[in-house]
Parts: sequence; structure tokens; C-alpha cells
Amino acid sequence: MTIPPIIHLLFFPGGLFMLALALAYEYVDRKVVARFQNRIGPRWFQPAADVLKLLIKEEVTPNVTHPVLFVALPVLALAGSLTAALSVPILGLNPALSFPGDLIVTVYLLSLVTMSMGLAGWNTNNRFSLIGATRSLTQVFCYEAPFMLALLGPAVVTGSWRITEILQTLDGQWIVFSQPIGFLVAVVGLMGKLEMPPFDAPKAKTEIVAGAMTEYSGRGLGLFHLGKIVEEVVGLSLLAALYLGGVSNPLAFFGKTLALLVVMAACHCLFTRLRIDQTVGVWWRYGTVLVLLQWIAVILWRVMTA
Amino acid sequence: MTTSVQTGTPTDPALGRAETILARWAPVASRPEPNRLDVPVPAEDVAQAAQALGRERWGYLAAITGLDHGPEADRLEALYHFCSGAAVLTLRALLPRHGGTVPSVAETFPLAMFFERELSEMFGVTVAGTPDPSRLFLPDDWPTGVYPLLKDVNPQAALAAQSETAPPRLQGKSDGDRFIVPIGPQHPALKEPGHFAFEVDGEVVKGASVRLGYVHRGIEKACEGQTWVQNLYLLERVCGICSHTHATCYALGVERLAGVEAPPRAQAIRVILGCLERIHSHLLWLGVAAHEAGFETLFMYSWRDRETIMDLLEQLSGNRVNYSCNVLGGVKFDISAEQAQAIRRALDFVEERTRHYLEVVSTDTLFLGRTQGIGVLSRQEAEYLGTVGPTARASGVPIDIRVTHPYAAYRAFPAEMVLDTAGDLTARFVVRMKEVFESGRVIRSILDNLPAGDLTVKMPRRIKPAETISRYEAPRGEVFYFLRSNGSDTPERVHIRTPSLCNWTSVLTKAVGAQLADVPLLLAGMDPCFSCNDRTVVITRPRRDPQVLSWEALRSAARQDRRR
Amino acid sequence: MTTQLEHPWQAALDKVKTWARVNSPWAIHFNTGSCNGCDIEIVATLTPRYDLERFGVKLQGSPRHADLLICTGPVTRQARDRLIRVYEQMPDPKFVVAVGSCAISGGAFRGCYNVVGHIDKVIPVHAYIPGCPPRPEAIIDGVVKLLGSLQPPAAKN
Repeated sequence: MTIPPIIHLLFFPGGLFMLALALAYEYVDRKVVARFQNRIGPRWFQPAADVLKLLIKEEVTPNVTHPVLFVALPVLALAGSLTAALSVPILGLNPALSFPGDLIVTVYLLSLVTMSMGLAGWNTNNRFSLIGATRSLTQVFCYEAPFMLALLGPAVVTGSWRITEILQTLDGQWIVFSQPIGFLVAVVGLMGKLEMPPFDAPKAKTEIVAGAMTEYSGRGLGLFHLGKIVEEVVGLSLLAALYLGGVSNPLAFFGKTLALLVVMAACHCLFTRLRIDQTVGVWWRYGTVLVLLQWIAVILWRVMTA
Repeated sequence: MTTSVQTGTPTDPALGRAETILARWAPVASRPEPNRLDVPVPAEDVAQAAQALGRERWGYLAAITGLDHGPEADRLEALYHFCSGAAVLTLRALLPRHGGTVPSVAETFPLAMFFERELSEMFGVTVAGTPDPSRLFLPDDWPTGVYPLLKDVNPQAALAAQSETAPPRLQGKSDGDRFIVPIGPQHPALKEPGHFAFEVDGEVVKGASVRLGYVHRGIEKACEGQTWVQNLYLLERVCGICSHTHATCYALGVERLAGVEAPPRAQAIRVILGCLERIHSHLLWLGVAAHEAGFETLFMYSWRDRETIMDLLEQLSGNRVNYSCNVLGGVKFDISAEQAQAIRRALDFVEERTRHYLEVVSTDTLFLGRTQGIGVLSRQEAEYLGTVGPTARASGVPIDIRVTHPYAAYRAFPAEMVLDTAGDLTARFVVRMKEVFESGRVIRSILDNLPAGDLTVKMPRRIKPAETISRYEAPRGEVFYFLRSNGSDTPERVHIRTPSLCNWTSVLTKAVGAQLADVPLLLAGMDPCFSCNDRTVVITRPRRDPQVLSWEALRSAARQDRRR
Repeated sequence: MTTQLEHPWQAALDKVKTWARVNSPWAIHFNTGSCNGCDIEIVATLTPRYDLERFGVKLQGSPRHADLLICTGPVTRQARDRLIRVYEQMPDPKFVVAVGSCAISGGAFRGCYNVVGHIDKVIPVHAYIPGCPPRPEAIIDGVVKLLGSLQPPAAKN
């Protein structure tokens, strides 16, 4: 039975379902971090309550350069990450939208969230949101390149730019064992793009006022937040699908993505925050070099075994 | 006389040397107490005398106290207190009550910059040649010409008269590149309002300043209107973290004024509580500093373990904070055998956890990446800038009042100084963790030999006219109290100089030339306590492109890319 | 007749809104000149033994992100204008919690010259938590009681 595309888009597996999944994953993340820190942590409906509260809160529009942008950018962020979700095998189902090159497009759409946040920071005439925005953008670019290259590792091996084709060719093979460096780079890259600790130098968690989101409140903040957590789920799904042997059924999907989430939450707790110069300077060089080495190894292997 | 740790450093040789250095004014010198030397000097000679002391490296400038003798006597004195070990030398400069001038000693003793500002805004004394004449504690909208600590000034009346016109609302100031964020720090771990100004050029800090006075409440003036006993409860609340410090320092001073000594058991209990306070303060600081570094987990764990000490304090005194164990003449409560056992058990647990934390701060690679080699303060710099407390000891400066000038039960149960030579942030972490062990050791030695006897001794209600200086080693460094009584049941003068004030200079000086990214941890590394402080410090030399940041904005800005 | 039909929708929506607000109170903390005792106890509520995150309280950095302003201190003159400004920057609905004796009445510093007095001289306060300082449990209790008071009274159908 083919599901009409509009249902795909709005409800399942895109749209509302993605939002619900993203909220659930945020809960798992916060709960795991809390347990690591010897605390009880939030209740299961906490992320939903947070988002709902933000959406109904008064929105204060500060003095901005472009009022239209102020309102549009959060919507753009959420739209970007939800669109990216359409090409990724959520729950092991075939992606609703599949075309050659959709791997690249998905990764770019994922960056749309952080780039919108950066632009939003510039837009609000607050010096600190401007600084936060610049740093945020710098970091996302530095982590984007190695991340993209790492995700293209499986693409090189299977010879396709299309996610569904890659998965079909791989057919359950665990690339993580043959390309461990690529996997590591991809995980670190994802953490950097999401600004998860220890790479949260640009925003240092929501406790710190400065950063692109300083002047946002209410609906705008809520939408940006949703965009961020959807990006997290999509990123995890991509990683699990490409490196951890595909997600052919819901059980595999949940198992692999949640395992990855727990690993990332553990990294969050174990390490002290890196200074921005450490996150950016080191990774831009070494991350890219590592993944290029991986690529060379993969290409050589293909050439030799072809 | 041989140096013995029980009695502290010998004072006669030090004071004798001071008399030689200040030979010009020595004939009028006097010894009000065995370890103190008072040298009246003419106001215009103050800078010369200070220079002489600086040249001979006699001690450090501990405080500058203003003393108003009242409209009838029509005199004002500016007291310059210098400390060397247990010896305290005071230069007394006589001034007219209005319009007096005194030369600045900030060239020789940079710390004087803050003290002089306090002197001038509280007493109306003009300090000629001071690097920064702006306000220290008093708020921006304080009426000019109203000097709160003069005897015949009623600040409330003056303020009431002034507020006929509504006080000016804060305007967001924007002057070219100047951007002032008038928000206090809303940081989960740093709970005190303060306003920092860092002039940056790219990523390097060129000038640094901090505007304090947000927590200035007017305590010293309030003390003069309340009885000695009432002040005990007020002074406990100067600072919530080192409440026992202030109360004990004050109580010891008042007892000395009255010529009374609290019984040994009381002194021992005071020290036990003081050591527990030191332990809880250092663990608190560890969590705060870890939070600054972004190490949330360490923050959570260290505060969880700190709860053991808080439970203990509550068990002993009835309150987690503001334990209020002191009365004038002794302590309020005893420590029973079960409580002693509970203390030992809690110490066992905390020491085990602290061993783990010591390992973390000295071996965790990422953490060391944020702390090692950063903010290095050499011993000479630390001494010159007048740094006190663990920040100074981390640079190898042997300053610890418990050792050099033992008070309370430290004569019978001596403490050892914990020193380090590296002088960087890591050293400051290590010194504080080791001090937890040292405090634990002192507590155990007291518990094993707790002197028997009374808990209090009778104190007169009225205290005969006298002056004294009481010094105490707070978790952050030396607390300096100047007390003067006038024969009544209210004090004539209570002057408090807290350690954080001394440490601002060193940290802000180190911030200049440092990377902006390291500044939050540098500031946390000195364990700042604004409420102890009440003082404003400006070292900046603002030029073009200054950025004025609030504390949390600074922290976030510090995480920005250092390469602009 | 149409008004009758709108009521259930309206009531349900209001219930959901209140639920969200009560269960997700993001807080900022401001010290207007306190000795720190209360502030340390507030910070302690974030730590494992007390864990305010169980109630959905997250400590924010920007007033724009917060619903709850947790205030301590007897409001020194220097801090007063900053306090007003922070309060004004918070979007509605917002609530203020005054923690500690100083925040409620000036405490030990009542009458000191640089102290304005209690917080409700400057901004409206919705909950008072007495103590010098109040224990973390008391602070949590106060916040929870404030949240409880936001619930609409039980419908008497």
C-alpha cells in the first residue's frame, strides 16, 4: 500500500512523527546525562512541555535589522531539518524522497539549522548574539567538511550517492569495522555540528546568555529548538544506517540510534568543554586529514580488489 | 628567640627592623600590643614612609583604614597597616575632617589603589596621584559630597533628600564600540553581581576592570550603630560561604579588646568549624571552577560530596549556612562524642573523594589543557601585587595566617602551609585540594585531644577604649579586621578588609595580555567572593574598541574564536 | 448556541497551556546584593541531592528565555536598576520568587544605607521563601507551591 506523499510529509514518517521522535530522543539524552551525573533527571514529558511552553509564550521582538528574517529563520530551520528527514530511512522504512545525490542534499539540509541560527544571531542587533553567531558558524563549517567526507566513505565503497542504493548495496554490512576512522570522524563531526558538549564552545549550553539565541524568546526559540533536535535524530539515523549496518527494521533502528546517543551523552559527561580554538583549530586540520587518509585507504582497496 | 611554629613568627626583630627603616618618625612610635607598632607620620610623608618600607621589602600593605574621631575632636586619621608575619605596623596620618589630602602609595604597593579609593569615597579624603580616583563601592547614583563613614553623616537622610527627584533609570549606553550589558551574572554557579570590562584587541586582552559595589550594603556604618553582640550576627552575614570566618575574626578581636580570652575548648571548636568551612568552601569552589571549564560532571559530583560536610555542619550547629557558633567570649554549642565520630566518618568519605578529585585536576588531559600554564603568577609578582590565600600559596608565597600568626586553637594544634611553585591554574587547584587534606588532619588532631572545660567566658558589655587588629585565614585568604572601641557598648569603628580585594589586582593584571578565552577560568581560579568584597576595582586603561561585558557574557565571549 | 460549543475547546486549550507552563518553568537567578548564602543554596538545588531538573526547572542565561526570576538579596542601590531591567526583559507570563530574609524584608541589612530594602519594593513578587538561608528543600518547596498555585482551581462539576 502506497501512502500518499502528503501523509508522509505531515504525519509519518515525516512531520509530526519526526517531532515526536525528536522529543523522545531529547528525553533519552537528558535522562542519560542526568544519570551519569548522579541525578534523577527530567520526566518523560519534559521536552514536550518545554516546547509547548515556548510556543505559547509571549514573543518579544527586539530591535532587529530585518523583521521578516526574525520570524522566518526559525521556520526555515525546522523546515530544513524536517525535509532532511524525508530522505533518511527512519524506523527502517524506505525514505519518502529518494533521488541520486540525496546524501549530499541531506547533509546540507542538516546544516541549514545551524546556519539559520547564525543568521538569526547576526540579525538581532545584539553584540553578543553576533559574536555567538559568528563562532557558531565557524564551528559548523569546521565540522561540516570532515563530517561530509566521512559520510561519503560508504558512498565511495558502494559507488553511489543515493542513500537507498547505498543501503541496498551494503545490505547489512557493518562499515564501521572497515572504516573505523571514518566512523569516529563522523561521530565527532555530528557532535560538533549539533554543538553538543564537549564541543559546545559557541553556546556553552543554554545557561550562557550570549550566543545567537540571546534575543529569541517564545515561538522563535521553540522552533529553533525543534529544528535542533530533529537534526539530531536525522544525524543519528544517517550514521546508524550508513555505518552500523543499516536500519532494516524498527528494532534495529531504535537499538542502533539509541546506542549511539548514549555514547554521545557519555562523551558529554566525561570531558571538560574544549576552548573554541581547540575545537576549531585542531579538528579542521586533523579531522580532515584523518578522513582523507581513510578515503585513500578505501579507494586503494577498491582499486586493488576491482 | 628561635622561630617556633607554636607562637608564630617572632615579632620583635621584625618590628625592630621597621623602627630602623622608619627612623625619622620612630621617636613617636608606640607599641599598643606586643605584635603591633604604631608610627604617626605627617600626612605628606606617607608615600615616603611607604617607599622606605617597600625598598627594604618589609611586609605587605594589608589595609588602609579611615578613622573619623568625630566632629568634636575634629580629626581624621588614615591608618596604613603593613604586615610581616605576625608583626603589624601601622602608619597613622592625621588629617583634617574635610578636605584632607594624602599622597598615594600605589606606586610602591599596587594594592593601595583600591584601598585609597575606599578611603576617599567613604571619608572624603583626597588621595593625590592615585591611578584611579573613581568610585569603588558606592553606586553610580550616589550623591557627591556625602561620605558615609563620617560620624556626623547620615546617609539615609542624604539619600532621602536626594530622591525627591527620581533616581536616573539605567540607560543602555552605546558609544561607538562601547556596549554595556547591564545584567548581573545569571550563571548557575557564580551567584554574585559584578560588572567586568575587558578591553580587547582581537583576541588579546589589553585592559581589564571590574565594577563592584553591587553587594555593598553599608555594613561598616551599620556596625557603629549596633552593640558588639548585635554586630556578631550582622557580620556573620557579610558572606554566606565564609560566615564563620567573619564571625570568629570579629569575636577574637573583640575579646582581645576586652582583655579576655575564650576558653581552650571554645577555641578548639572554633577551629574545627573553621576547618570544616574551609573544606566545604574548597569543594564548592572546585564545582564552580569545573563549571567554568565546562566540566559539568565534576561540578555535580563535587557538590554532591560537599553535602556530607553540609550535613555535618547542620548536625553540629543547626544550620547548613550561617552556623553561628560564636558568642563573644566563646562558642554556643559543644561537640559530643557521637558528633565527633560523625565528623571522623564524614572526613573519611570526603578525603577519599578529594583524592579522586586531586587526581582528576592533576592528570585529566583535557582539563590540564584548560589550566596548565595558564595565568602563571610568579612569586615576585604575587608578592608585589599583594596576593593572599591559596592563589598566593600556589605561586610559592608563604603567607598563611594560621601558620605565621596563629589564632584561636592553632597555637595548640598547628596547621601546615600547602605550597606549590607552578603558579598557574593547575597549581591553584592542587593547593586547594591539598588544603582539604590538611584541614582534615587538623580536625582529627583536635578531636583526638579536645581540651576539656567551659565553652564561654564572661565578657563585659562595655569595652574599654582600645584598638586592635584581628587577622584570620579565610578559605580565600587573609581577612583583616580593624576594631576600635570607645568605652561604650557599641564599636567606634569596624573596618573589614577581605581577601578577594587583594586578589583582584593579580588576576586582572594577568588577564591583560592573556587570551580572552582563558579569562573566565582565571577569574574563577582566584575564588572571587564579591559579597566579601564590596569593593570596586578598575585597572583598565580604556582606549579604542573597549568591550564591556557582564560576567556571563564574558564567559560566553571567552568561548569565541580567539582568531578574529 | 455557538458559545456553548466553544467552551469545551477553550477549556481544554487552557488546560494544556497551563500544563505546559507549570511543567516547564525555566528560571534565571539574580543576586541583588545578598551575602551569597541563599545563592549557594539555590545552586545546590541543581546538584544531585536535590535536582531541580526533576521539576522541569532549567537555569537559563538570558532573561528572554526564562519564566521564573529567582531573586536574592536586599537590593543594593547599584543593583536596583539592573533588577528592573532584567525583569522587563523577561517575556510574559513571568513570576518572581524572592528567596531569603533579605529579599523579603531586608533581613540583617534592613536600614543599611546602601540597601533599598526588600525586592517587592522594586518588582512584583509572587512567592516568598523565608530563611537565612532557606534550605534547598525549602526553595524547591516554594517553587513547587508557586507552580501549584498556577493550576486552575479544581472544576466543581
